[in-house]
Amino acid sequence: MTSFRIEGGTLIDRNDVRSFTFNGTKLSGFAGDTVASALLANGKQVVGRSFKYHRPRGILSAGAAEPNALLTIGRDGRRDPNTRATIAELFDGLEARSQNCWPNVDFDVGAVNGLLGPFLGAGFYYKTFMWPAAFWEKVYEPIIRKAAGLGRAGYDPDPAYYEKCWAHCDVLVIGAGPSGLAAALTAGRSGARVIIADEGGQLGGGILAEGGMIGDKPADATLADIVGELHALPNVEIKTRTTIFGAYDDQVFGAVERVQKHLPESAINPDRAMERLWRIVAKHTILATGAEERPIVFGGNDRPGVMMAGAMRTYLNAFGVAPGKRVALFANNNQAYQTAIDLEARGIEVAAIIDPRTCPNTRYQGKARHIAGAMVRDTDGRKGIKSITVRHDDGRDEVINVDALAVSGGYSPIVHLACHRGAKPVWSDQHAGFMPPETSDGMTPAGAVAGNVGIASCFDAGAKAAVAALDALGFSAQPANLLGSDKSDDIRQDIVALWSVPSSMGKAFVDYQNDVTAGDINLAMREGYDHVELAKRYTTNGMATDQGKTSNVNAIGILAENKGVSPGEIGTTTFRPFYTPVSFGALVGASKGFEFQPVRKSPLHGWAVRNGAKFVETGLWYRSSWFPKDGETFWRDSVDREVLNVRSNVGICDVSTLGKIEIFGADAAEFLNRVYCNAFLKLPVGKARYGIMLREDGLVYDDGTTSCLAENHYFMTTTTALAAGVLTHLEFCAQVLWPDLDVRMASATDQWAQMAIAGPKTRDVLSQIIDDDISNEAFPFLAAREVSMFGGRLKGRLFRISFSGELAFEIAVPAGYGESVADAIMAAGKEHGIAPYGTEALGVMRIEKGHVTHAEINGTVTPADLGMGRMVSVKKDDFIGQVMNLREGLVDPSRPALVGIKPKSPSDKFATGSHILNVGDEVSLENDQGYVTSMCHSPNLGHAIGLALVKGGPERYGEEVVIWNGLAGSAVAGIICNPAFVDPENEKLHA
Amino acid sequence: MRDFPLNIVSPFPAKPAANGHAAVHIAPIGDGFVFHVLGNAGATEGSLKKLINDIAPELGGALCSPSPHQWFWIGSCEVSQDRFAEILAKLPDGFAMTDQTHGRVRMAVSGVKVRDVLAKGTMIDLAPDVFAVGQSAMTQIGQIGAMITRTDDDCFEIMVLRSFAVSLWDELHHMAAEFK
Amino acid sequence: MSSLVKCPHCGLRPREEFAIRGEVATPRPKAGADESAWFDHVYLRDNPRGEHREYWHHAGGCRRWLVLSRNTVTHDISDVVDASTLKVGGDA
Repeated sequence: MTSFRIEGGTLIDRNDVRSFTFNGTKLSGFAGDTVASALLANGKQVVGRSFKYHRPRGILSAGAAEPNALLTIGRDGRRDPNTRATIAELFDGLEARSQNCWPNVDFDVGAVNGLLGPFLGAGFYYKTFMWPAAFWEKVYEPIIRKAAGLGRAGYDPDPAYYEKCWAHCDVLVIGAGPSGLAAALTAGRSGARVIIADEGGQLGGGILAEGGMIGDKPADATLADIVGELHALPNVEIKTRTTIFGAYDDQVFGAVERVQKHLPESAINPDRAMERLWRIVAKHTILATGAEERPIVFGGNDRPGVMMAGAMRTYLNAFGVAPGKRVALFANNNQAYQTAIDLEARGIEVAAIIDPRTCPNTRYQGKARHIAGAMVRDTDGRKGIKSITVRHDDGRDEVINVDALAVSGGYSPIVHLACHRGAKPVWSDQHAGFMPPETSDGMTPAGAVAGNVGIASCFDAGAKAAVAALDALGFSAQPANLLGSDKSDDIRQDIVALWSVPSSMGKAFVDYQNDVTAGDINLAMREGYDHVELAKRYTTNGMATDQGKTSNVNAIGILAENKGVSPGEIGTTTFRPFYTPVSFGALVGASKGFEFQPVRKSPLHGWAVRNGAKFVETGLWYRSSWFPKDGETFWRDSVDREVLNVRSNVGICDVSTLGKIEIFGADAAEFLNRVYCNAFLKLPVGKARYGIMLREDGLVYDDGTTSCLAENHYFMTTTTALAAGVLTHLEFCAQVLWPDLDVRMASATDQWAQMAIAGPKTRDVLSQIIDDDISNEAFPFLAAREVSMFGGRLKGRLFRISFSGELAFEIAVPAGYGESVADAIMAAGKEHGIAPYGTEALGVMRIEKGHVTHAEINGTVTPADLGMGRMVSVKKDDFIGQVMNLREGLVDPSRPALVGIKPKSPSDKFATGSHILNVGDEVSLENDQGYVTSMCHSPNLGHAIGLALVKGGPERYGEEVVIWNGLAGSAVAGIICNPAFVDPENEKLHA
Repeated sequence: MRDFPLNIVSPFPAKPAANGHAAVHIAPIGDGFVFHVLGNAGATEGSLKKLINDIAPELGGALCSPSPHQWFWIGSCEVSQDRFAEILAKLPDGFAMTDQTHGRVRMAVSGVKVRDVLAKGTMIDLAPDVFAVGQSAMTQIGQIGAMITRTDDDCFEIMVLRSFAVSLWDELHHMAAEFK
Repeated sequence: MSSLVKCPHCGLRPREEFAIRGEVATPRPKAGADESAWFDHVYLRDNPRGEHREYWHHAGGCRRWLVLSRNTVTHDISDVVDASTLKVGGDA
């Protein structure tokens, strides 16, 4: 293998050799290399196959815009498809693979697609695979996906850690080329907080490709001085390997920092982020993103060995890599001639400079043959370029043998970030490019993105842009003079736009990544898809990972030329984040696995763990769902035991997760009276009341109890599910609807460990702990007040309420004491057979008792539907939902209402969600009588029971129906009944 | 059972994770009190300070406001339930108060890299000349609501709902791990 | 969608701290208002292109309800006030 490595290379360290593999072949490069420069140095001209035609493709660029050299890097969980070889830094042991080729990149079976070219033109998806429709999903799409495509995602979990951060600054400088560096230094010296970000591993941008002098000093020495000073400024934050990928509202920028992507496996710190997603809040932004050199569309312009002129210069000067031995340049502007100058300076023959302009004024003094008024119309060579065919201005063709061709069609300012919020770029004939929008709040373009040419001009523009921005922010600043002299290298471009070569032979590519040719664009136009957005979708030009960085402007130019209008009239497609692809890992950040979402733990969590609880996630909460004992192998063994134990002895359950809200204020009672549909105005101190909240549309929102603990002091409990929602709702009512009421609320959910103690022996247990009298007379049903405990050592809040239907109390103590109190209750209850019970047993008991939860309060029910219509006040002036609750449809007596349901034969089972049908009716929507909202096995009754919302409701107690389950394909005979399966007279409750 | 031992259980892990973090130190704050004071529309911080000085000068502590007319009164001494009730009884109508000592728990996060750690969770700009000593903000650290107070040069106090304490504790350690 | 909101109580905050309820509706009708006024209040929203007033709740901060004046095209926020100062729910 011939080495293309020559002398020089400002970025590489020849003492630090790095070995890597490419498609399994061992190769080596140097520290500082990109994968692309190392491949070129090793003579690897073909690095991938194209998307549709599987044509061999080489490295076109030296930066973010690369459309061809997309490799899969790494293996297993650290496998990154579609990595641009031009950005990926080389590390020891790196494994790179070509994509979209089989069996290998040099011999690719898919290349036969090249012969099918006529069928794969613009819109081929829509034309070729139209019929039969069913074939699309089953036949065409899988085949296309297999044959055409980019890299494939891996299946292994990524072991790396990712994170997201915020950063703040006065001035954000995007891009660390000459204009960005000058802006950052100017701003840094003024004392402003500066962040300068660049996607490269080193600061410098275009300076890194400079081989010669800047002002009086060598380019690398000038750069070293600037970078040194920036590093020394404490108010300047330097972010390399950081791509600002999106400009968002309110001057927030999204960025991804590839923190450890450039490191070998052995050097990766697992505690450090692999990539970091930044959200940067800036007061002002200097857009110093530079300009993207454009290809020219001509026959065979995708042949490996054809490279952007600026990229060729970068490989030469920064990496010490020669593009070939005999090179031609095809360019329509003056700046590109520097590539010829640099090639010759390194002793590489420049065979010819082909310039479509008739009399270019370039000040080029080199040895190369200069062919004006000419264009390259074709290239030849099987896997790499061997020759070019030049069409002279007199119509004569000439074949010139070269092994590399540098191309420059002009420069497209990288305006993306100035356009992400919707502003449109502005066409400039002078620059033959789309310039940044004129108005973009808080952002100043400077340097090549604004049309400046040459390092001196960019230094100047960056410094001046920073001074203006700093002035507006209140910092006094002097423009940094980085030249060391007044010498200006003012370069005139004299560009004459050339989008495509009319005499092109064969395929002339506009979009390399999507294999879109000039012919495809023309076909799209002929078929009526000449709007820029339509042409993009029809041809796929500008799609996929590079989003048309090298192709969009040429496509627009071709459309404009064919329509006879200015490219400005055609306009661009919409710019959207992301500027370059961002990994899902970075976007997800740390929120995966155990940190996917926070966990809320009850103050009794430790107690539950010690008692062997199995936990269930309820929202963010971990709740104890049952407490298996030795010998219990099936969850229902435990649940049935827990239920029977509560009904016959006593049980204890953690209810700390219920929402708790302290409500204060002179108008607190009036407020509660307005948010509940039932009356609360006269709730006495020391009493709790069950309440139903409606939504303003008249349907039930939540239920719970509220206790009056003192004058103007209430304590509300909500369901666990709606704790946050109810507080938010109450705050809306208090702040927006009735700001004139004196009502103040504080969430107290976390302050209290709360446990329910239920069962006939409850008093026997609690009286050992609570100092106060808790007899039925002293503490009747719905009493609620502070009590003394443990001989006066602790105060808690005691509530005589019951969800299970048994004699029950809930006791709340400050959270830190929760475990001790629960332990004490367990100890006190031991002789009475106390056992903890979980949410499953609680669920069984509430169904046995006919109590509703959000399975029934499902957003479609009124209080009347739940059998609580009489709770709705008819006396109150106003409460939430009052008027809409009386709507015709909500008071219709045929509405489904709450009933109990049980199987006719006790051995039959049924499922929640089953529908109710009249006996003998066909299964149809019209015949639907309602559905089962909850069901369980009742250990007390020995068979399945359920709650259901059924038309006619309680009037149908005793009626036989069919419980139909469409999913399981089953139907069982059921009986509608009273939902209070246990203790319908409430004797236990009031015991 | 009246003499059953009563212990206060901390929501934080029994043993703080190995504190090898040279640049960041994370520690639970076990002692003290947190009272949530809710004022009516006319309540001011000045009037509350005067009130505290009148009825409970021995408690000391500091006020930080999560919301208009609301304050967390946070101090380092132990306050019994009886003492709290006494103070409550002396509050005029314009102020209500609820004990949150168990509901909102605190930890101290400090060290030269403390801002780098917190920037992984919160949008608040904690730069020394932007977020002064004594300043506090009710915000989110990741997905968890928290009150951040700057207590010294590179020292912050974080107050979080008790149920979230373990998650935030773990996440802060994860965020700080690279500075070991 | 706006990235940052200047809460009148807390200062500049990320939108993740807020919950958005939607357009500021017609004022809540007084007791005794006819049903059509309630329908407007509960269901009718303008969904304009351009200036829009919305309820945002600073759930992750001060827990105050705010009224944002936001342009739905540019996402520019021209005004943020505490909802209680507007009396939007009662007398307009």
